[in-house]
Amino acid sequence: MGGKVTCTLGEVKNRADFIVFWGGNPAECHPRHFTKYSLMPKGKHVPNGRKDRTVVLVDIRETKSVKAADIFLQVRPGKDFEVLTILRALIKDQAVDPRQVAETGLTLEQLTDLVARMKRAKFGVMFFGMGLSMTRGKHMNSAALLTLAAEMNAFTKFVAMPMRGHGNVTGADVVMRWQTGYPFGINFSRGYPRYNPGEFSTVDLLVRGDADAALILGADPGATMPQPAIDHLARIPTIVLDPKVTHTSRLARVHITTAVTGISAPGTGYRMDEVPIPLRPALKSPYPTDEEVIRRIHEAVCAKPDWIHANGQYTTNQV
Amino acid sequence: MNLNVVKHATCTFCGCVCDDIELHADQVRIVEAKRACVLGKAWFLNHTAESLYPPALIDGQPAPVDDAIALAAELLDQAAMPLVYGMSNITCEAQRETVALAERLGGVVDSHTSL
Repeated sequence: MGGKVTCTLGEVKNRADFIVFWGGNPAECHPRHFTKYSLMPKGKHVPNGRKDRTVVLVDIRETKSVKAADIFLQVRPGKDFEVLTILRALIKDQAVDPRQVAETGLTLEQLTDLVARMKRAKFGVMFFGMGLSMTRGKHMNSAALLTLAAEMNAFTKFVAMPMRGHGNVTGADVVMRWQTGYPFGINFSRGYPRYNPGEFSTVDLLVRGDADAALILGADPGATMPQPAIDHLARIPTIVLDPKVTHTSRLARVHITTAVTGISAPGTGYRMDEVPIPLRPALKSPYPTDEEVIRRIHEAVCAKPDWIHANGQYTTNQV
Repeated sequence: MNLNVVKHATCTFCGCVCDDIELHADQVRIVEAKRACVLGKAWFLNHTAESLYPPALIDGQPAPVDDAIALAAELLDQAAMPLVYGMSNITCEAQRETVALAERLGGVVDSHTSL
């Protein structure tokens, strides 16, 4: 998501006086987020810490994070995009249809109060979780929230940041963006990168049966993906690199055990605000690192004839 | 017993990537993870340096790593549309190698972000 209006967690700690969590439950999923970055710390421009900050939680149900918030807005499931769009209208003083407001599960009073508080803020942040980005509307929801944050800058400083889940998923986005120009779902079959989520994203490729081999790294789709995708992984030759023998390893042709990232494998990991942090492993693994195994597979592939890059003319006739 | 102390260790369990953890470890396991949250403690204390699994499996049978790497390269090279997926629990250095491999294969590379 290059181009998003964002900041680092250090800026949140030192400046943010208005914080929205949308579709996430940091109290249980990112336990130290409140104390280390977003709510409790005393910062340069928020010297009294939590007392200087207003915290809003937007979710479809009451989670443990509600206790940490000043305001809780309970949205009807699947209506996040509508709420965000109404907010975008309200900040510009445009008229909104009361029937559409009623459908969101919130009242116009709640929404106008939120808009007034957002505009009064000196530095506003919207953190959004998978409750927004993985439900009905998916990336359109994220886009609406990022647009709202960008548009709020006509009134005051406002930024948005995704609450990323597993360890270095941010690093995967950053590295792919750096190397290909795109963050995920990239197809190299024409010799140059093409990006199209929905067409080149994993679940879609597997469910349609397009992929005829799979290399799975530090992931266990055999435990998390829809059954038709898992069935296809079992049909094609699958190769798994993982510190454990996983569900996916059991249906794979090849499993290679690797050292655990950050515990016995050194390297770099990205925090959710795209700050790279060195890993400091405490143990010595009997297994090779992922980096080493992937490099060796790459070298073994490079020793074979290069059929795709063989004649350099594949790009000229493609649109 | 002397414990190896790692100050400012980094936890890669969640996206917070806390880098102020103090780890106390013997040769095999981490016995203490100071300042880590409940999820971080479980992450650090549940991984050991033991050989709990065979280095590699081919068709479910233990096999040498060299053979597994050779077969992996063969299977990926043979495929017309190989998919490379995951990468959220590996280092940036490994991710860089992965993208280079996917490009050489003429395949698709994708992460958890697309789920």
